[in-house]
Amino acid sequence: MTAVFLSDKRLVNLPAGEKGIIKAFCDDSAGSKLVSVGILPGSFVELVRKAPLGGGWYVKVDGQTFALRQAEATCIVIE
Amino acid sequence: MKESPEKSVLYNIALLGNPNSGKSSLFNLLTGLRQKTGNFPGVTVDKKIGALQLDAGKQALLIDFPGAYSLYPNAQDERIVVQTLLDIHSKNYPDVAIYVADTTKLEKHLLLFSQLKDLGLPLLLALNMADVVAEEGIEINTAQLERQLGAPVVLISGRSAEGLETLRTKLSELLTQPNPFPGTKPFHTLQSVELKVAGVVKSVLTGVNDYQALLVAHHYQWLPFLTDHQRFVVGNAVVESGFQSLQLQVQETMRRYDHFTPIVRNNLRAPETKTDGLTANLDRVLTNRFVGPIIFLSVMLLVFWSIFNWAETPMGWIESGIGALSEALKSALPAGWLTDLLTDGILAGLAGIVVFVPQIAILFLLISILEEVGYMARAAFLFDRLMQFFGLNGRSVVALISGGACAIPAIMSTRTIGNWKERLITIMVTPFISCSARLPVYIVLVGFVVADPGAQALAFMGLYLLGIVGALVAAFVFKLVLKTGESSFLMLELPPYRLPVLRNVGFTVWEKVKTFLLEAGKVILILSIILWALASYSFPGKMKAAEMQARAEAVSSAADSLVTEDLVAERQLEASFAGQLGKVIEPVFRPLGFDWKMSLGILSSFAAREVFVGTMSIIYGLKSKSEADAEAEDYPYLRERLQAETRNGEMVYNRATSASLLIFYVFAMMCMSTLAVVKRETKSWKWPIIQFAFMTGTAYLASLVVYQVLQ
Repeated sequence: MTAVFLSDKRLVNLPAGEKGIIKAFCDDSAGSKLVSVGILPGSFVELVRKAPLGGGWYVKVDGQTFALRQAEATCIVIE
Repeated sequence: MKESPEKSVLYNIALLGNPNSGKSSLFNLLTGLRQKTGNFPGVTVDKKIGALQLDAGKQALLIDFPGAYSLYPNAQDERIVVQTLLDIHSKNYPDVAIYVADTTKLEKHLLLFSQLKDLGLPLLLALNMADVVAEEGIEINTAQLERQLGAPVVLISGRSAEGLETLRTKLSELLTQPNPFPGTKPFHTLQSVELKVAGVVKSVLTGVNDYQALLVAHHYQWLPFLTDHQRFVVGNAVVESGFQSLQLQVQETMRRYDHFTPIVRNNLRAPETKTDGLTANLDRVLTNRFVGPIIFLSVMLLVFWSIFNWAETPMGWIESGIGALSEALKSALPAGWLTDLLTDGILAGLAGIVVFVPQIAILFLLISILEEVGYMARAAFLFDRLMQFFGLNGRSVVALISGGACAIPAIMSTRTIGNWKERLITIMVTPFISCSARLPVYIVLVGFVVADPGAQALAFMGLYLLGIVGALVAAFVFKLVLKTGESSFLMLELPPYRLPVLRNVGFTVWEKVKTFLLEAGKVILILSIILWALASYSFPGKMKAAEMQARAEAVSSAADSLVTEDLVAERQLEASFAGQLGKVIEPVFRPLGFDWKMSLGILSSFAAREVFVGTMSIIYGLKSKSEADAEAEDYPYLRERLQAETRNGEMVYNRATSASLLIFYVFAMMCMSTLAVVKRETKSWKWPIIQFAFMTGTAYLASLVVYQVLQ
């Protein structure tokens, strides 16, 4: 797995509506869950909107939509 | 495969696929009403089994597995798939499997397929959504896809039922020729460390192939069919060879995608313009952070409004129907204990269960429509943060709402929550939500607390809110007390909005109602028979003496025959075992303002809360009147009688006592059936006992405070 640095850009840093490409995940525990639902390195990802109360994120990955928690979205490194 | 008595062969066919792949639609189409619910061996997760007629001489059982993304499970549901498919020596091991995939998302839906293929399971790939495929002009090169994936492919639609005949034919062919594409390469070739550990697994577990062995190495800690020796040997090998389970899982999964993604792209051509505009537009409003929650709450209010409005009439029919049946039995059968047991015990118990069927059916009709449409996933998204604060998961929302009808199916719906702690807390607090069985008690008592009809409506709402607050506070306490190292996650797919398939909705409602009737029914029936016996018998001579005394009193006060019978029933109940039991426990409830009659009512509520109303009717000698009055749902006679009840010249059902009793019913755990289901879902008596203790403890303290303050 690609080395991940604190300085790397994360999905949560992406402004809503902008697209990015997934580069890596922060750890294997979250990574193993994300890849199993089809959120993969190399996937196109877009932050669509935020949930109420600073909660999760409505995310679009390769045309499919998912609800991710803040921590999960933070774990996704984008290029 | 088994030889059935009629000499025809009985096959086991597994139905597998991702969540939202349309698997259940296909199952309902293929099996229709010939489906039943059973248990997966060794686990308490329900499985649906249906009979499937293939060619002449070929009988098959279709087993519907929970939806899963991968053989590296994230939730209890998915674990079932893994442990069943790794237990190759089990007699339930499938002969072949149908794998359902959503054609429009095939690039994401083949992960599990590729894993199953490497298990060596003969597979039939059913490409669902044939109707959408045609609509969107997607072109599929089926023949080439079959060769490259190594499995027969059939295009079907779970919505319009097309492709089912081809599916049956290809399934029959696969049963006679389990490997139609020999020489297909496995999707995953084991790496050196994987090979090493798999080799060790194979030395202690006979008959497994490379990939099965690899999965055993990944999951050895929890696979239930391993012996201690096998677990020990595999565990040692894993540690010694530096087998990094998580890292290897990710690498394997990525290799799989790399393998099948080009195959999908080469054989599936979709026109550029994909219009998912409807879902995006709807979600702009429905998942909006400000408007979304308001819409959700309005929808829920509408759902509960519908339940109470639509259920009223059928509930009346059921009550009067059973009442009439009971009367008919009484007059047709000779008087005696057997007739009494049948009518006052069994039939009365049955009535207590069946009367809730309309409410439960309507609630699950609406909830399953919302699920089918795809809205429930949005609700989970909207409230995940709030739920997390209380130690719950966004997915808990569905359970908590279902709890408004009945906690039993609600608790069973928590299996999709991956994190054990979040799932456990959801199970523990769901019974705080006021279920439909509390309603009759609220109806009878709320009038004693406030008189004005407007204030009564507010009080009703207050009782429901109190239940919700109770659930959330309790959840928060559990969150602080329970410790877990397990990571918690949401990662929820938000499927595109679709029109509901009414067939699926119908099957869901039928299944939930059946579960409720069977699960709750067993316990309620047994308890009502016990209660009947306790209320009908006493020490020798006591019942007779009570009757004589009552008759003497009736004669001296010149009462008519109806009043006499009521008086006899009342005095006999007081003399019975149940009446004496009520007096024994009275001191416990005295600080809450309850007398022995109420204590007995509470005790009888363990069969089902609404039994309270029936018991009170008997205690207050209103049997004849309340039966005649069964159709009117606000129990005017009982209320009148309770109002007239005095002790030392003071009203017994005064504001303090009634409020205290109401609060007790909001919080107390008084449902044996729910406790039984909690035991089943948590696999130990520990949790139902804790649940009973803290709920009833909360109820006791809250009632104590209310009574002492209001008195």
